[in-house]
Amino acid sequence: MNKVIAIHLHGTAFHLEEGGYETLRAYLDNANRQLEENPDKAEILADIEQAIADKFAARLNTSRNVVLSTEVQAVIAEIGPVTNSSDATTDDKANAKSDARPQPSTTAAHPGSKKRLYRIKDGAMLAGVCNGLATYIGIDVTLLRLAVAVLIFFSFGTVAIAYIVGILIIPKAETPEQIAATTGPSPTAQEFIRKAKEGYYEGFKTMHDREAHRAWKRKFKNEMRDWNRKLKEEFRWGFPCPPLPPVPSRIAIPPPDGFHVVMPILATLRALLILLCWFAILSLVTTGAILGVTLPGQLPVWAGVILLILAYKVAVAPIKALRRTYYYRFNGWPAYWHPFADLLHGLLTVLILALGVWLADCFIPGFHQALLNFPIFCQQVADSIQQWWHQR
Amino acid sequence: MSLDEKFSALRKGLLEFLLLKIIAADKVYVADILRQLSGTEFATQEGTLYPLLSKMRRESLLDYEWQESDAGPPRKYYKLTAKGREQLRELTDYWNKIHGTVKGLGP
Repeated sequence: MNKVIAIHLHGTAFHLEEGGYETLRAYLDNANRQLEENPDKAEILADIEQAIADKFAARLNTSRNVVLSTEVQAVIAEIGPVTNSSDATTDDKANAKSDARPQPSTTAAHPGSKKRLYRIKDGAMLAGVCNGLATYIGIDVTLLRLAVAVLIFFSFGTVAIAYIVGILIIPKAETPEQIAATTGPSPTAQEFIRKAKEGYYEGFKTMHDREAHRAWKRKFKNEMRDWNRKLKEEFRWGFPCPPLPPVPSRIAIPPPDGFHVVMPILATLRALLILLCWFAILSLVTTGAILGVTLPGQLPVWAGVILLILAYKVAVAPIKALRRTYYYRFNGWPAYWHPFADLLHGLLTVLILALGVWLADCFIPGFHQALLNFPIFCQQVADSIQQWWHQR
Repeated sequence: MSLDEKFSALRKGLLEFLLLKIIAADKVYVADILRQLSGTEFATQEGTLYPLLSKMRRESLLDYEWQESDAGPPRKYYKLTAKGREQLRELTDYWNKIHGTVKGLGP
């Protein structure tokens, strides 16, 4: 009879004989030390763990679910010692090619993966295209959404088609590495991954003592949750916002009453509102009246569009707040920090936009005339596209 | 000293060149690369390959994408970047030059 130790490698659980566990721990500790200086350390270790997990899984079957010590040794022998190729080969290169010197030093300045364009579902309205693009170019997502929404109507669907193409070709950010890559070398994201790895290896040390291990696990989970929260805040808010209240320790909370009924209704309601808003804007731009009702006074069309978007924001705010409240409750998160946060956020965006236009109007000569001509220009562009459409 | 040992530095230095060649031929994941090298003098292991691949990616010679596999978790499939293909061309030329030199010298 042998003692068995449970571990998880890159998300898959395994039972190892005690001797095998010691061997594996020594191996991973050594790999960790070897890669100390390597900027891709976390990623390489994850790859190695995945390779070990694959090889373990291949050796197990339904009737046998413990990895033997001899098998651990065999797998480690197959994978071989982890060598830090950064050191070895850059030295070789330095001897062979003196002109290649600047290359390694510049890449070393940007550790980890490059910034990439992904769709970000967290905080997305539809498929996360705007969210991802805003993060990629580093502007506020509400501004981009406004621009896209307005452009969709002035371009008569061309931008909408571009959006759909975006859904199809831009990958969704799913793994922590991809999420880290959306913002490029974001300090929080990188720290998150580094911490996760570090804590994970630290956890090995307490493996023998059950109580200590349990305490470590609790602490590690709490730490990771805090980091995760920071990461999410970074994505969610374009403007600095008051920090979320501290998370109470996470207990499995059953979904609140009516969760499964209310959520679909809210989602449908919101979708209907979006459609209504789009339809209203479309009819305003094409016919100059919202579903047959003309604008009051001498209000220009573009002001009508902004008013419609504002009206939509106001109408959708309580729905959004309700959804988030439900959602966070369900996930053991605190309720949405402020029921009108989204509304305020939208208003603030519009205000800042207006302030920017006003300042430009006051201080940039020629801007005033351009501003006056803008609606006419948009109308002309729309007309010419419409003409082109009908001529086809 | 065995032949293997005599050429160990050479084999190590050539590994990157061979990886460029293998990845240029087809999109591959690590097990494919190991299999292709396994019968040869350049047989290697994950412990060497992953750090080397990540270094080459840092130098933007290659890139990977995640692809679902029939069994198990998604895999990283590697492919060359334009810079990687350029590097492969240069290394191939250089290798041919070395080969010519070796042949041309001595008996």
